[in-house]
Amino acid sequence: MQIRYFERFGVTEALIAETLAAALSRGGDHADVYFQHRVATDVGVEDGAVNRAHAAVELGVGVRVVKGAQTGYGYTEDVTLPALLECARTAAAIADGPSRTTPARLHLAAGLPDRYPLVRRWEDVRPDEKLPLVAALNERAFAADPRVKKVNVYLRDESGAILMADSSGRVVEDEQPMTLLFLSVLAEQNGRREQNGYNVAGRAGFEFYSPERLDRVVREAVARTTILFEAGPPPAGEMPVVLAAGSSGILLHEAIGHGMEADFNRKGVSIYADKIGKPVARPFVNIVDDAAPPGARGAINVDDEGNAAGTTRLVENGVLATYMHDAISAKHYGVSPTGNGRRESYRHPPLPRMRATYMLPGPHETEEIIKSVKRGIYCANFSNGQVAIGAGDFTFYVKNGFLIEDGKLTRPVKDVNVIGNGPQALERVDMVSNDLAIDEGGWTCGKDGQSVPVSQGLPTVRVSSMTVGGRGS
Amino acid sequence: MSTSPLLESTRTAARLALKKGATEAAAGGWLARHVEVTWRDGKIEKVSEATTRGLALDLYVEGRYTAVSTSDLRPEALERFVEDSVALARKLAPDPHRCLPDPALYRGQAEVDLQLEDPTHAALDSATRRRLAEELEAAARSVPGADKILSVTTGASDTRAESALVQTNGFEGTRRGTDFWISAEVTVKDADGRRPEESAASGGRFRDRVEPSETVGKRAAERALHRLGTKKGDSAVMTMAVDARSAGRIVAALLGPLGAASIQQKRSFVEGKLGAAIGSPLLDLTDDPLVVRGLGSRLYDGEGLAARRFPVFEAGVLRNYYDDTYYDRKLGIAPTTARTSNLSWRLGDRSQPELLRELKEGILVTGFLGGNSNGTTGDFSLGVRGFRIRNGALAEPVGEMNVSGNQLELWKRLTAVGNDPYRYSAMGTPTLVFEGVQFAGN
Repeated sequence: MQIRYFERFGVTEALIAETLAAALSRGGDHADVYFQHRVATDVGVEDGAVNRAHAAVELGVGVRVVKGAQTGYGYTEDVTLPALLECARTAAAIADGPSRTTPARLHLAAGLPDRYPLVRRWEDVRPDEKLPLVAALNERAFAADPRVKKVNVYLRDESGAILMADSSGRVVEDEQPMTLLFLSVLAEQNGRREQNGYNVAGRAGFEFYSPERLDRVVREAVARTTILFEAGPPPAGEMPVVLAAGSSGILLHEAIGHGMEADFNRKGVSIYADKIGKPVARPFVNIVDDAAPPGARGAINVDDEGNAAGTTRLVENGVLATYMHDAISAKHYGVSPTGNGRRESYRHPPLPRMRATYMLPGPHETEEIIKSVKRGIYCANFSNGQVAIGAGDFTFYVKNGFLIEDGKLTRPVKDVNVIGNGPQALERVDMVSNDLAIDEGGWTCGKDGQSVPVSQGLPTVRVSSMTVGGRGS
Repeated sequence: MSTSPLLESTRTAARLALKKGATEAAAGGWLARHVEVTWRDGKIEKVSEATTRGLALDLYVEGRYTAVSTSDLRPEALERFVEDSVALARKLAPDPHRCLPDPALYRGQAEVDLQLEDPTHAALDSATRRRLAEELEAAARSVPGADKILSVTTGASDTRAESALVQTNGFEGTRRGTDFWISAEVTVKDADGRRPEESAASGGRFRDRVEPSETVGKRAAERALHRLGTKKGDSAVMTMAVDARSAGRIVAALLGPLGAASIQQKRSFVEGKLGAAIGSPLLDLTDDPLVVRGLGSRLYDGEGLAARRFPVFEAGVLRNYYDDTYYDRKLGIAPTTARTSNLSWRLGDRSQPELLRELKEGILVTGFLGGNSNGTTGDFSLGVRGFRIRNGALAEPVGEMNVSGNQLELWKRLTAVGNDPYRYSAMGTPTLVFEGVQFAGN
């Protein structure tokens, strides 16, 4: 077996085999060892100068032992046999029985998909190429509108890989690049200030930054900021909510995504815990969590337990279909893992997590949807969201939007939190357009102290009623 | 000054930075032991145990600056990493405001034993952690109404951490600390199919600061059971009391824009407002890094500056920003410190029940859900849950609601501060009462 990436850190078949043997020395059902190397660099502009850079190297390894639904975990930054054996023995203690034999031969998993082919690898991109890119964006943002007073630009790139080896003998290596560009703008008008921005992210190399994408970053960052001078809070209370195509996928992430992560259901603490096979939405509603959008921030070739990552169908024709599983929950439910077992880093055991969550196109036209609303809001851009898994209440924060009055977009609105209840909001999705867009932004999902990169998407959708955290009536 | 292997390796890293071409440098090393036991419904769910380490370097290279960190401490790898980082810095534009702090700011550290390390930490074994977690669940399941409990997840965790800071213009420091936490989360079944959850946690730098597991487990279960029957209330402008445990969310939205980077970049609704009244006279709090056994206590900050108490708000008036030396040079002001330590509030003399009796009608917020606060304009909109207050007493639970407004108006409407600072956060927030807050619901 040929270890490719991690050979440089002294990782050998023998090192892995000895670690796994120690991990199963107390009789665990399953063990895995997860190596990670990640090199992140960012360069930034503030007050007109490219005068700051950061670099972060993470090298470490985690050893997990599973016994039933119980997990033992140890990790270290020291990639040597003695340190790994100590982690393995720590993790092994979750079980308390006779040793289990480990596989005689490790084998490298073949045939991984290639969802993030690199043209310009970040290791090969010199600072002399990155610095002019951010400097030019700074100048273009100032040139775009005289009201722009402050601009911050950050370009981040990550290269590196993971290696997962488990007690079935399976070994998986995957190189996982990432990049993120963030342009933030502060503008002033008549003594008032507003700040907003735009960001793009993907698993890609330097080629990600096409002229069209860079144009869009400047245009959107400035437009999303300056429109705030005309915007105010919408009224407070329940009203129809129309979600624009793209980043509005945050609705799915919070209203149903987390609640469909199988660990919460296995424990009986999700509001969706007894709803599989039951209708939860109109028949034209189809929701998936997909590992495959090429180059997407949430794309993965393989999950962090070494399982094939495909498309998990959460809602099929309005019926709740499949939970997102890691190995523990898949075993509990007697189903195949869905490739949703992900971890932030070697410091954490995997959990069922989302990748790219979106709704498939529906039967309505976008204009028809807006026209149908007498008085409501249209939500275009978002900054964050949250959900209470068991109560089902969830929120998303709207950074830019519009009032809808008599079927037309009228006054811009800003800074408003929208709150709903997951199953109820899904039931109330009563129109879905055919304009699905998967957002290109740098979304990060947090759960149980672990952050992972995700993507989200939505066609234009109408929710017949949600509570809008505005002011007045 | 005492020495330790960590201080030695941090000194070596600082010397390496100079050798590889940095004009001056700050090196920060850390080493931590963290153990966590999670227990759920009668058995162990997860045990995680690790010793973790890392190194951060601020490199100042002929007027240029880069900040880097690594967990790959193999000597050859570290040497190459520092070389690459210095080379990266050389490509950047010079920044005249970047340099290590004036060494005068290192002097005058308080001569007090902060007692941040519990000497009994080493005696804590896995059987004890497991027993705590087990007791928490048993306590949660012992309360009246426990038959509605669907699941109980509890945990016990502890950390022993050591860090060293070496700055090549004359600062060296080390510190060690411990902390201990227990927590319980309880999910209950409601008649309408919802499964509301609530939690409780307790902890501190010393084991004897942690409340008995029985108290914490029961508190989590009682809180969860009190959520049964939650309904959305009506949209209205009402008095809002914010529970001490939850108030940190709204205080953080006020303090974030006090950071010097926000001020200098004009992304702050308090920019230019030093000396101005931001809140009612009841808004009165001090940053106090010198609390014995405090969760946020320290003798020096992340830049090596000697830690001092300073007023943040006095009788509603903004007295200081939170500023590091870099943004101070840009702004031309004197530094305080970049990050909050412990907040010490001028407390009121009434308990939460007394405050609720007095305000008669309103909502007690016991948890926030999502939402955000715009640091530039002060506009906020936050999801909330809690209880309706009727005739001065807690009434039905409410949820799926939202509060919104502007921070500059909100803090002027602070009409009461409780006598009940939350002990399990360095923010130490008491119950806060605000008049005339916009709630959105039905």
